[in-house]
Amino acid sequence: MAAHAAKAFLLLGRINGNNLGSRKPLNMVTYATALSATSSTSNKAFPDRGNRGAFVRRPRREAGEPRTEKMAVDQDWTAVYPVAAAFRPGSVPLPLRMGYPVKGGVPPEKKGNLELIKVPNFLHLTPAAIRKHCEALKPFCTEWPSTLDTVEKCNKHFPVKVESTDYVSAGPSLRNPAARIVHLKVKLSCLNLDDHARKKMLKLVGDRYCKDTDILTIRTDSCPLRKQNYDYAMYLLTVLYHESWKIETWEAEKTLADMEEYSWEGSPSQKNLLDTLVRMRTAGEGEGEVAREELLGCPEVQAYRESVTRLKNEGDSESTMLQYRDAVKKVLNL
Amino acid sequence: MMSTRRICSVARMLVGIPQLGQTGLSACRNRMACRTIGSHLPTSSLHTTAVLTSIPSTITVTDEPDMLFPKISVLVKGHDRAVLDSYEFFATMAAKELGITLGKVFEPPKDIERLTLLKSIHIFKKHRVQYEMRTHYRMFELFNLTGCTAQVYFEYIQRNLPEGVAMEVTKTAMEKIPEHILEPMWKDQSADNKPRAQEQS
Repeated sequence: MAAHAAKAFLLLGRINGNNLGSRKPLNMVTYATALSATSSTSNKAFPDRGNRGAFVRRPRREAGEPRTEKMAVDQDWTAVYPVAAAFRPGSVPLPLRMGYPVKGGVPPEKKGNLELIKVPNFLHLTPAAIRKHCEALKPFCTEWPSTLDTVEKCNKHFPVKVESTDYVSAGPSLRNPAARIVHLKVKLSCLNLDDHARKKMLKLVGDRYCKDTDILTIRTDSCPLRKQNYDYAMYLLTVLYHESWKIETWEAEKTLADMEEYSWEGSPSQKNLLDTLVRMRTAGEGEGEVAREELLGCPEVQAYRESVTRLKNEGDSESTMLQYRDAVKKVLNL
Repeated sequence: MMSTRRICSVARMLVGIPQLGQTGLSACRNRMACRTIGSHLPTSSLHTTAVLTSIPSTITVTDEPDMLFPKISVLVKGHDRAVLDSYEFFATMAAKELGITLGKVFEPPKDIERLTLLKSIHIFKKHRVQYEMRTHYRMFELFNLTGCTAQVYFEYIQRNLPEGVAMEVTKTAMEKIPEHILEPMWKDQSADNKPRAQEQS
């Protein structure tokens, strides 16, 4: 209705100046209506110029009944809304009402209701439409390999996990700089590392390793593209691996303070214990030096060694302290 | 070996059957197809176009190994909870139809960002106006997707993303350990390890 009027104005071309003066306020928006109900009376908005002669405004057709009256109940809805489109009250055969109710009344009807047009609708994505789309898309999908049904199998064959994020949003630009970040996660137990290599690797990566889950996480974001960051992460992994297998000359100077774990052999605790036991034996039996190696082989000494190592490595806890107490009692025959 | 499926170019077919341009536009459901087919009846350029429903699709299967995604999580953000509800229904139904295992579908709590601004352009400090922006979230977790399926599903989902809704897709791809990390390259030189290390370091 308003569209017809607008078209008529455009047709007149050069006579725009006159149009503006005599144009009916079709664009005035009444409450919640985009298309004024009064536009049906705008037929004679533009007075006919008898003198100009040939120029007659295009005869206006009456709008027929809306399409909803003629729709069958079992029609194909996917043909009515094949793609995302604005809400058309004449095409949707539902008695919808939307908006704040008029005083003492009900929400306004769907005809000419701007609120219904503003809101995103999912009329093009009904279950029937989704099924049809998926039928068409099915041939392009592939199956997940049936042999990889458990998480353990996946981890065993494919231990390296690469995480990245994609962002979709509307805005002046499609790009999101956070999309370039890549996280590479791998379990160190899956890599071929010996004892020295593992310790060196842990020293090299530092914070990036999580002891509880045994996962090394490398986060790369220094390159502008995701592919570059991925390549860089793989390069880092390769370099770490090969470097940790290398044995440098200065590694021989590793001191007690550099050791990751406490080892009892050669520690002051061992020396003290053996001295004490030797003195106990010599005091008790009055014989000569008892061989230290024999003492080391005793089960009590072994138990003491276990408890001390556990205490130093795992820290103080109920079980470690109890174990230490028992071991001491046995060793000193209390 | 997993194989990828590529949509083969049907430009040459279209040249021979020009009238299908119009029927294609009305019959095709996927907006992607509409755009590429409607834009040309080409002669020289070969585009990869989606196939019309009337022509049997020629899918090429290549030997390139497919990517494997044990887990993909999709976070959808919007200002309107009702829109996200409808979108959730659509996404979950699409996943079921395409045979994708759905994990948890839940709603993280909304974020409200509030601003307090001066009501007037000049003075009147005591009179302010407050605005707030509410962001509602919806999270879907999908498990065990192949690269091809992920491409198809996400293209479908993202083309039908409603206005005013944003999406973040966090993909976790799993891969084998690269060949060059299986064995250390110093293994052959383990006999004269130290001099080598001296040279290189």
